[in-house]
Formats: sequence, C-alpha cells, structure tokens
Amino acid sequence: MGLISKLIGISLAAVGFVLLLFGMNETSVMSYVYSFLGLLVMAMGFALLTAGRPKEEKLPPPTITEIKCNDCDFKEIRDFKKGDYILKTVEEACPKCQTGMTIESVYMIREEAKKYNV
Amino acid sequence: MCTARACDKPRSCHILLLMILFKNVEIEAIKRIQNAEELIFMQIDATTDFSGIIQIAFFAFMMLFMLYGAKFQIWQMLKQVEIGLAEMRRMFVESRQTAIETFKEYGHSEEEIAEELDQFMDYFTIMPVDLDPAGILKRLDHLLDVRRDRFQEFVADLAPESSGSMNQNLENTLEVTQVLGLIYRLVRHFYILGKKTGSQITVMQIHMLMPELLLLAKAYFDAIGAFSQGKPIGDGIGPLVITKFAREFGATPESYTHEISKEVGYYTVEADGRTVYALRATGPGGTVGKPGFGVKNLMEKHGKKISRIITIDAALKFEGEELGRVAEGTGAAIGDPGPEKYAMEQAATEYGIGIEAIVIKEDEAAAVGVMDKKILDTVPEVIERIKSVILKRTKPGESIILAGIGNTIGIGL
Ligand SMILES: [Zn+2]
Repeated sequence: MGLISKLIGISLAAVGFVLLLFGMNETSVMSYVYSFLGLLVMAMGFALLTAGRPKEEKLPPPTITEIKCNDCDFKEIRDFKKGDYILKTVEEACPKCQTGMTIESVYMIREEAKKYNV
Repeated sequence: MCTARACDKPRSCHILLLMILFKNVEIEAIKRIQNAEELIFMQIDATTDFSGIIQIAFFAFMMLFMLYGAKFQIWQMLKQVEIGLAEMRRMFVESRQTAIETFKEYGHSEEEIAEELDQFMDYFTIMPVDLDPAGILKRLDHLLDVRRDRFQEFVADLAPESSGSMNQNLENTLEVTQVLGLIYRLVRHFYILGKKTGSQITVMQIHMLMPELLLLAKAYFDAIGAFSQGKPIGDGIGPLVITKFAREFGATPESYTHEISKEVGYYTVEADGRTVYALRATGPGGTVGKPGFGVKNLMEKHGKKISRIITIDAALKFEGEELGRVAEGTGAAIGDPGPEKYAMEQAATEYGIGIEAIVIKEDEAAAVGVMDKKILDTVPEVIERIKSVILKRTKPGESIILAGIGNTIGIGL
C-alpha cells in the first residue's frame, strides 16, 4: 500500500511537472490552464508522496527483571511482574543449588537516541 | 507608364511622378505596418486581457499578504498549537484512565474513583509569601507537609485496601496524572485566550513553548505505567547506589535504621576504617522522603565526628551529553523546592565540613521513566567514585554521611 501510493505520487508529480513545462512554453490562451493544471497535479503528487500514515505508536520496550542466585552464578531473566522490585528476595529457590534468589535489577533497554555530530 | 529614360516630358513631371511614387510607397509602408500590427493584435488580443487580470490578481495577493500576513501566520500557529493540545489531552485522559484502573483494584468502584479523582485533579499549593523572606523555608516546608498529608489522606480514602508501599505508588500515580492535567489546562488556557483576543504575543508564546511542553508531557505520560506498577525509575539511582554500596560492606535490610527523618533511614557500615552513614529514603514504595532533614538529624546526633557529606543524585543532562554520565561537584545535590537543600547546606556550614555531590546525568524521560539499563550500569562506577572520595578526602576513624537522593519506587532495602 505504502509503496503503491508512493509510486502514484511520483508519477503524478512527474506528469504535473511536464504539464507545467508545456504550459509555460505554449503561447495560446490555454497555457494558463495547462500551467495551473500542472501545478495542481504536481501538488497532489507531492501530497501523496509525503503523506505517510501518522507515525505508528511504538510500544515501549518491555521491562525486564533480572534474578540472581545468592550463592552460585545462576541468572534468570524474565518479564517484569507486578510486585517485583530491585533487591527483593524471590520465593523460588535456585534450580541449581536450591538456595535463595534475589532480584538483581529491573530495567528497560531503550532505543539509542539520535546522535548529533557536534 | 512613365519611365525616366524614355520620357520626353518636362522635368517637373518627373518630380511629380516621383512624389506620387513616393507617396505610394509611403502608403504601402503604412499599410504594411498596420497589417502587421493587426496581425500581432490578433495574436495577442486575448492575452493582453489575461495579463491585466493576472497583474491585478498579483497585486491583490501582495496587498492581502501585506495586510493580513500576520493574521495568517497566527492562524497557522494556532493550528499547530491545536494539534499539540489534542495530543496533550489524549495523554491526560489516558493517564487519568490508568490512574482509575490502578485505584480500582483497592476497594472502590470506577464511578466513585472517577468522581473523586476529578475533584482532586485541581488540587493546588500556594507558595508562601516572599515579600518577607524571613523563615520562608520553614513555612514552605510546613506547607509541603500539609500537602503531603492531604495526598496521603486522599489515597487512603480512595484505596482503603491498599497498604504501605502501594499507597506511596498510588500517590505518585496521582501526582503524575495531576502534572499532565496541569500542562493540558495551561496550554488550553493560552490557546483559547489567543483565539479570543487574537493577541499575537499570546499565541506566539504558547507556540514557542509547545515543543518543550510536549516533551515534558510525553516523559510523564510514559512514566505513569512505571508509577502505577511500582517499577523503579531513573531518579531512583541515588538510593540504589546507597544500598548496593552498603551491601558491599555487609549491610542487610535488618541493619537499616528507620525514620531518622520522615520516610528516611540509614545503614551504618565500616568502610576502609571510616564509619559511613549511608542514608536513603525507605523503599520499595515510591517516596523521596526528607533526606535533607535526615542529614541534619544525623549531624546533630553524631556532631563533630562527621567530616564529610557526600550526596548522590540523578541530575538533568544537557542535550548532547551521554545518558548515565557520572559527574562530581561541590554542594548538596537535591532537587527539592528548598527546605531540604537548605538543611543540608546549613548543617555542613555549621560544622565547617565539606559537602560534595556525585550525580548521574539523565534526561527528563529517563528520570521519570522506567530505569534505563544504561543508568543501572553506572552503579559500579559511582561506588568506585565514592570509595575514592572517602580515601582521598577523609581520614581513618572519621565518620561520613553518604546520602542517596531520589524516588525509591521499586528499589528495596
Ligand atoms: Zn544457585
């Protein structure tokens, strides 16, 4: 859909441009009509080209909970659940050594912001 | 026909003939010119009419823009403000809905909550008079206390089945919704005022502020999910550093001393031969507590033994600065309206000890939004910096206050 409308936009703009040029070289009364028509068609083409649908609302990245075993180096990463907080002692025991586990961190990885080279 | 050579008529005839001839030529020429003109006119006859119209139209266009250009611009600005305003309205309405959904889980029906919430949306605080500045901080602190009590009361009324730290999160949710409502109402005010009065300056003002206000609103809007679900936010890095630091030196949630000041407590740990009082607001509920008064109370308690105050906080970064950059400086790093910062500065000055700050640079969105991985990753660096400050600028046997400032939502002890 997007590509097709872009293509139509480009061709409309091109047709408009040709019409405008033709109208400018004509000496008859119709030249004004042609120029005007050319401008109109060109404008429609550009409007089609630039008018993508409004930016889609991006869903925020998921919040991640990182759980670590208190003894060994077992680490579990899962989605955030309500009630999680950093340094909370979780109920489940470590599957490796059966000791307790603690939520090490709760975080979100955001998209890299646009960098300006200045 | 007379030709000059064969003619035998007198000279005068010649002249006459010549004159006639010339006359003919002349007439012919004039005729030709007329013909040509006619031709040209025939060709461009219609065109001259058109160009006249075009000229008039062009002139009218210029006049129109000279007289009404500014009006047109204002109209354009108002349109842009209108688009932003619609966006703000959407954010406010959605965050209000989130607040209602969150409150709904704790006892009351949706209708009751909606009604109460809408009444509370306009809750305001009047800043103390500054014409007579004596004691203004005390008065401001008192007002903030009263305000806080009202918020707590409101939450307790509206969510009777909620408890301790969830109450604090609900308070935060309420505050975020309020901020969004305030921004929306403010912009709407200037938009309508501009439309009503047609005042260019009013419209221009709000138009210029629009991008920044939208960014701010967006930051808070994205944050409401964090507050309503109790996720840690970027501003909580200060308290987090404190706890991680204290744990490194053997502190546990049990060794935490509660309520040195409102909702603030501290760990007492031994680090490199120094006693460190690591102070933070009590989590994991969303509160900033009163760490400034905590520092003051600790100073009063331990007096001359304390030789340095170190504050850790999130600070607003400049555009272009890296998110999660760590910086050091002098002074009390705390972003309260005044009373707490004053308490800290006063305590440090009174005892003549150094007060310094280590800050983690964040933008507005990261500070009120869910904790970013990049900010979290600065914890070891900040702890290293704290250790080096302690080693370089304090002597063994001395005591240090280490204060982590920030909202403790989602950050356990
Ligand atoms: Zn294990």
